[in-house]
Amino acid sequence: MEVALHPLRLKQLFHLAVASKPHFLHGKIRPLFIVRCSSSSSSAAGTAVVGGGRNRRAPSSATSTSDREAVRAIRIKKVQELRGKGLDPYAYQWERTHTANQLQEIYRNLGNGEELTSESDHVSIAGRIVARRAFGKLAFFTLRDDSGTIQLYCEKEKLLNDQFEHLKTLVDIGDILGARGSIKRTEKGELSVCVTSFSILTKSLLPLPDKYHGLTDIDKRYRQRYVDMIANPEVADIFRKRAKIISEIRKTVESAGFVEVETPVLQGAAGGAEARPFITYHNSLGQDLYLRIATELHLKRMLVGGFEKVYEIGRIFRNEGLSTRHNPEFTTIEMYEAYSDYESMMNMTEEIITRCALAVNGKLTLDYQGVEISLERPWRRETMHNLVKEATGIDFTKFGDDLTAAKEVALQSLDTGRDNQNRSSIEACPSVGHLLNEVFELAVESQLLQPTFVLDYPVEVSPLAKPHRRHAGLTERFELFVCGREMANAFSELTDPLDQRERLEEQVRQHKKKNAAMVSEASDTDDKNKDVDDGAYEVTLDEDFLTALEYGMPPASGLGLGIDRLVMLLTNSASIRDVIAFPVLKTQQ
Amino acid sequence: MASAKSRPQGKKAAAAEDEGMDPTQYYENRLKALAAQKAAGINPYPHKFECKLTIPEYVKKYESLNSGDHLEDVEERIAGRLMNKRSSSSKLFFYDLHGGGAKVQVMADARKSDLDEEEFTRFHSSVKRGDIVGIIGFPGKSKRGELSIFPKTFIVLSHCLHMMPRQKIGPGSENTKTTDVWVPGSARNPEAYILKDQETRYRQRYLDLMLNMEVREIFKTRSKIISYIRHFLDEQDFIEVETPMMNMIAGGAAARPFVTHHNELNMRLYMRIAPELYLKELVVGGLERVYEIGKQFRNEGIDLTHNPEFTTCEFYMAFADYDDLMKLTEDMLSGMVKELTGGYKIKYHANGLENDPIEIDFTPPFRRIDMIGELEKLANLNIPKDLASEEANKYLVDACLKFDIKCPPPQTTARLLDKLVGHFLEETCTNPTFIINHPEIMSPLAKWHRSKPGLTERFELFINKHEVCNAYTELNDPVVQRQRFADQLKDRQSGDDEAMALDETFCTALEYGLPPTGGWGLGIDRFTMLLTDSQNIKEVLLFPAMKPQDEPTSKESNKKTQDGPPSQELEKVSLQS
Repeated sequence: MEVALHPLRLKQLFHLAVASKPHFLHGKIRPLFIVRCSSSSSSAAGTAVVGGGRNRRAPSSATSTSDREAVRAIRIKKVQELRGKGLDPYAYQWERTHTANQLQEIYRNLGNGEELTSESDHVSIAGRIVARRAFGKLAFFTLRDDSGTIQLYCEKEKLLNDQFEHLKTLVDIGDILGARGSIKRTEKGELSVCVTSFSILTKSLLPLPDKYHGLTDIDKRYRQRYVDMIANPEVADIFRKRAKIISEIRKTVESAGFVEVETPVLQGAAGGAEARPFITYHNSLGQDLYLRIATELHLKRMLVGGFEKVYEIGRIFRNEGLSTRHNPEFTTIEMYEAYSDYESMMNMTEEIITRCALAVNGKLTLDYQGVEISLERPWRRETMHNLVKEATGIDFTKFGDDLTAAKEVALQSLDTGRDNQNRSSIEACPSVGHLLNEVFELAVESQLLQPTFVLDYPVEVSPLAKPHRRHAGLTERFELFVCGREMANAFSELTDPLDQRERLEEQVRQHKKKNAAMVSEASDTDDKNKDVDDGAYEVTLDEDFLTALEYGMPPASGLGLGIDRLVMLLTNSASIRDVIAFPVLKTQQ
Repeated sequence: MASAKSRPQGKKAAAAEDEGMDPTQYYENRLKALAAQKAAGINPYPHKFECKLTIPEYVKKYESLNSGDHLEDVEERIAGRLMNKRSSSSKLFFYDLHGGGAKVQVMADARKSDLDEEEFTRFHSSVKRGDIVGIIGFPGKSKRGELSIFPKTFIVLSHCLHMMPRQKIGPGSENTKTTDVWVPGSARNPEAYILKDQETRYRQRYLDLMLNMEVREIFKTRSKIISYIRHFLDEQDFIEVETPMMNMIAGGAAARPFVTHHNELNMRLYMRIAPELYLKELVVGGLERVYEIGKQFRNEGIDLTHNPEFTTCEFYMAFADYDDLMKLTEDMLSGMVKELTGGYKIKYHANGLENDPIEIDFTPPFRRIDMIGELEKLANLNIPKDLASEEANKYLVDACLKFDIKCPPPQTTARLLDKLVGHFLEETCTNPTFIINHPEIMSPLAKWHRSKPGLTERFELFINKHEVCNAYTELNDPVVQRQRFADQLKDRQSGDDEAMALDETFCTALEYGLPPTGGWGLGIDRFTMLLTDSQNIKEVLLFPAMKPQDEPTSKESNKKTQDGPPSQELEKVSLQS
C-alpha cells in the first residue's frame, strides 16, 4: 500500500549544502563519488554535508560502533516522526510497473534532455536508495532493485505539498523507496524517473558500509552476506548465476529423460564415500543417525527398483575442515543410468558443463583466476597410468604387486627427500594401487588445468566401481579435473553383490587399521583423548544396500558432480565461500 | 545348482520349480550358480547393454501390430527385469519383461535362438524370475494378441539372488495390471497390491517399486509436483537459492531441532527447522524474489503425517503482501492439480480405505475464513480483544473446558487458540480453505494487520483438514520483531519449548531494511499425499525413517514421554512460522 503523504511541517534534521556543480549518476557504472553512508548526513548536529564533492566523504568511519549507534538512534527517531505524521515507515505492499533494467531497455533510445510525460510513460518502481544528492529545489537519488539501477530525478515543484522536504530530510541511503513518475533522460545522459510521488517502503536503521568497495572485512562479508550484496551488486550476480547453472543442469538431464528423486539426509549408516560423517540423535527413535556423505547408495536402490534414469541434486555433509574448497555442507548432483557405462557418462559430463558455461557466460572459454580454460569438446581423455608416466616417467604397469619396488622408485623419482609429508604418505600406501593414486595426486593433479578425464583408477581406491572389462586391477572409473581440481567422479557401477561386499569389508578393515594406528600413535602423546576423538570414526557396512544388490541391479553408470566447484569455475570465484550464500565460519572471537 | 536345473520340464514347471524351496536354500543355489560361472571365466555381470528402445517405447512402437504378426526382419534391443516365467515345453519359454512402468512378453523359442536346442534348454532353466536381462530379437504379437519380443540373443545382465515375493496370479498370466493405469488425483488401493506388507514396502522400497507398478507413479507424481512449482516460480522471475541446513541457531520456526557437532571447529550445530530467516536476509541483500525447495529437519515423533526430515518450498516476494500470495497460491495449486490430473477435483480416501473416497475440489477461488471472527461465530464465543491479556487466557481456558477440548500444559493463549481453531475451524476445511488473520501471539514473524489490531496478515491453507501452506506479509520492523522475540522468550520460560529463539543476525539484517515482502511455505510431502491418495506420509517418501527393527516397543514409548509433548502438538505450530 502506498501511503499518501500528508502536508506536514517538520524541522529539518540537517541542512543540505548546495554543491556548485551537480554530478549526475551514470546508470550501470558504479558511482564513484557517492557518499555511501548517511551517518554524516544524519548527524544530529545538523552540519554535515551530503553530496557534491567528488571525494567528499565523512571522515569518521561509519562502522565504528558509536557512529553506528548514533545513526540508529537518529533513524529510529525518523521512524517515530513518520508514524507521527500518519505515515507507515514499514509499508505493506507496492505495485510496480517496471524494474530498473526494463526501463533502461525500453528507453534505451531516448535522447539526452528528452522527457516523456504521456500517460503510458508513467511508471512505478521500487528499490533501495544507494546514493543521494540534494540541492535547493532538486534532488537526485540512485535506486537499485534486483535488476539494476535507475536515477530518481526529484524537482520540488513536481511533488505535492512538502513531499520534497520529506525526501530531503527523511530519506536516507539504505531506505527502500517506491516511486512513481514520468521518464526523462537528463542532459548528462542519465535515464531518470521524474518523480511525482513516492513512499518510503522500509526505513533502514543502519548505515550501509561507507567504503565504496564495500566490506574490506572478508569475514564480515560472509557473516553478513546481505550487507555484502548491498555493497557489492556483483556478489548477487554470483548467486543468480548459481541458480542458472543448477537450472541448466536440471534442464539438461531432464531432457535426457532423468527423473529427480529425493533420498534421505538422515541415515542409519553413512555410506557411498569415505568421509567423516556428522552424527546426530533422534530422540523418539532413541537412535544415532548419520548425515549423508553421498547419495549414491540410495540412488542405486532406485535402479534396483526399476527406475532407469534418476538423479538427485542435494546437500551432502562431511565433518571435515574448512578451506577455500571445502564447506561442511555442499551441493552435488548424482545421476545414474541403467544399461550404460562410464563412456556415456563422460559424454553426459561434457554436455552438462558446456551447456552451463554457455548459459551463464555465453561462451566456452573462460578465465579462472588468471588461467585461460577452454571447454571446447571433446575433452582430453587419458588413463591414470599414462598421465603418471608422462609426468614422472614411472611405468606402474611393470611393478605387478611389488609394492616395495614401486615405493622405492616413487620416492626416488618424486625427490621427496625434503618433503616429509609426501614421503610419509607414499610410505603409508598399503598397495600398488594406492601408491599409483598417491603419485597421481602428488605429481599430476595440480597440472591438469584444461578439462581432462582421468580414466581407469586402481580397484583399491574405487570400492564402488566395476572392474575394468580389459585391464585386471583397474576399474571403469573416471574423474574430471579442471584447473587442477576434481570436479566429477563417475564409474561403471559395480553390480556384483559378492564383489561389492568384499570390497566394502576391505574398506572397513583398512579403516579400522588406520584408526588403530591413530590410537597407538595418540597413546604416545599427552593429549590422548582429543587425538583419538579427532581422528577416529566408525565405518559401518550398509547391509540394506548389499541386500538390494542381491535382488539385481542392471548394468549402469553413475556420475557425481560438485556443483559448488562448478559454480566457482564458471564465475571465476577463488573460494567456495564466494559461491555459498552462508558458508560455515569459525566462531567469532 | 544341479537341483535347480535338471528338473523335468513339464508344463508350468519353470514357475513351480522353486516354489516350495526354502529361501535360504534358494539363495545358496543362486550363489553356487554364480560361482560356477565365474569359475568358468564368464563374467556374470556384463558392463553394458546397448538398448535401442525403452520398454514403453517398444510398446508404443509395436502395439498396433496384428495378432500373429512377426516382424522377423526387424532387430530390436530391449532390457528389463523378468517378473514372470512360464514354459510350455523345454523349447518354449515365456517371460514378462518389466521396465519403465510397462511390460512386454518375451517368447523364447528354441527355433529362433542363436543357441542349439540343448544349450537353449539348459540356459533357460537357469534364468530366474527377478533376473535383469537384455534381449536382441524381433517384435511380434502372439496369436492371442499379446505384444512380444522373440529373442535371438538373450543375455542375463544381473541376477536376482533372492526369491521374489510371489506374484499373485489369477487364472492365466495375462493379468490386467498394464491397462489399469493409476493417474494422479484418482483413488488408490494399496490393499490390492502384490506386495502388501508395509514394513517390507517401506524398508525395501526397491521391492515395492518392482512389484507394485503404481508405486513408481507416486514418485513420478512427486517429482512432477516439485517440477511444476519450480517452473511456476521461475516463470515469475524467482530465483532458486540454497541456504544452510546446519546452523548455530535453529530459527524460523518453533520445533525441536537435531543437534550435531563439527569436530574440527569444535562447534555445536543444529539442523535447520526452516529456511525462513536466511531467505529473508537474501531479500534484504537485494534478491527480490527467492525460493528454496529443500529438506527441513525436526526431532519429533514419527506418525502418519510426520517424518523427521521433510521437504518444503518457501518463497519470498518483495513488494507483495498476503493478499497477493493468496491469489498466487490459488493459481499455483489449482493450476497444478489441473495439469497433473486433468481437472480440479481429486479423489481421496479421507475416511480410510474401507469407506468411499471423498472428493476435494481445487476450483479457484478458495474459501477464506477469518480465524477469530469465525471461531467466535461457530463456538459462540466473545474472546477478549486484548489477546495478550490474562483475561483472554482465562477466557480461553474456560472455553476449552466447556467444549472438553484438551490442551496439555503450558496453556499459553496461543496454544489454547490453536486447539479451539483445530476443533472448530480446521474440521470444516475439506476443500482448500484459507484461514486468515491470525493473532500476533501465534505469529511472531508475521506483520501486524494493517487495520485489525492484535492480528496479523497471515494465512494458512487447509485441505482435507490439514495445513498445507502457511504465509504472511513479513514483519519487517526490526524494533517490533525484537519485541516479538522477547514475548516468545516469555512463553519459552513458561515451559513452551515451541517458542522461537532470538536470532541476532536476522534482527540486524532487518535493521538494514527488508522491503515489504510476502513470504510463503508449502509442505510438499503433504501436498503429494493429497494428489496420490496417500494416508501415510511414508507412501510419498522413498526411504521413510523407520523404527529400528527388533527393538522392544516398551523402550520406545518410555523414551517418547520423556521427550515432551506428543508430536502432533509440536508440529501444529506450522510448516513455516
